Amino acid sequence: MSQQAGESGRQDFVEVRLPANGAYLSVLRTATAGLAARLDFTLDEIEDLRIAVDEACAILLQQAVPEGLLTCSFRQVGDSLWVTVSAPTTDGRAPERDTFAWTVLTALAGEVEATVADEADSGDPQYKVVSISLHKKRGAEPGQPPPQ
Amino acid sequence: MDLSLSTRTVGDRTVVEVGGEIDVYTAPKLRECLVELVNEGNYHLVVDMEGVDFLDSTGLGVLVGGLKRVRAHEGSLRLVCNQERILKIFRITGLTKVFPIHASVDEAASATD
Repeated sequence: MSQQAGESGRQDFVEVRLPANGAYLSVLRTATAGLAARLDFTLDEIEDLRIAVDEACAILLQQAVPEGLLTCSFRQVGDSLWVTVSAPTTDGRAPERDTFAWTVLTALAGEVEATVADEADSGDPQYKVVSISLHKKRGAEPGQPPPQ
Repeated sequence: MDLSLSTRTVGDRTVVEVGGEIDVYTAPKLRECLVELVNEGNYHLVVDMEGVDFLDSTGLGVLVGGLKRVRAHEGSLRLVCNQERILKIFRITGLTKVFPIHASVDEAASATD
């Protein structure tokens, strides 16, 4: 983990890197909850974030390069938290949106967007990095189910 | 934390007590358990989720898969869950309309509708 800016800094940046393997997701969920708690998110918001980050990673793991790394960065800006998870993939497919995972992710995180990096950006031309970013505002309405 | 599974029979139902975290890593274990039960001829299942600390969409997928399997044998799959944070995931995905969700194993085991 790396942290920039001091304890009282207005912007905190934390990055967690893990093997792109489902066995490590529980570790990332715990780190997510710990960070959100540190930023004074409510218990409901912490739970929403924990699940949202898990879902984003689960989506990426479907196409992540085995033996690759899953990178998760947390950035606090004011009263909101930006989380970006990314992993090198062989296909570079944008996440499918008609899945339970995407439904849960978008319901629990305020704003979500997915990007597929150009090959030139990913360092290794063999792989394309797919990223999912989510933005959770503190004190916003808790995640609501989409209208039926 | 890992996933714990234990099964027992209550009347004509097979109750699967699930504990721990259901995620992309542990969900296959639950899937295997449900598939095995159906293959052994248990078509009326109750999945007790009171001991579940975490559930994500991978777990939902496994439960839906289990429901499809028992329905192929005109069976049933009922859930027991009182935890708001878990119920929320079912609501978000509209699955509260797909699964009968009960407050207790006794209620699920005696339900017939």
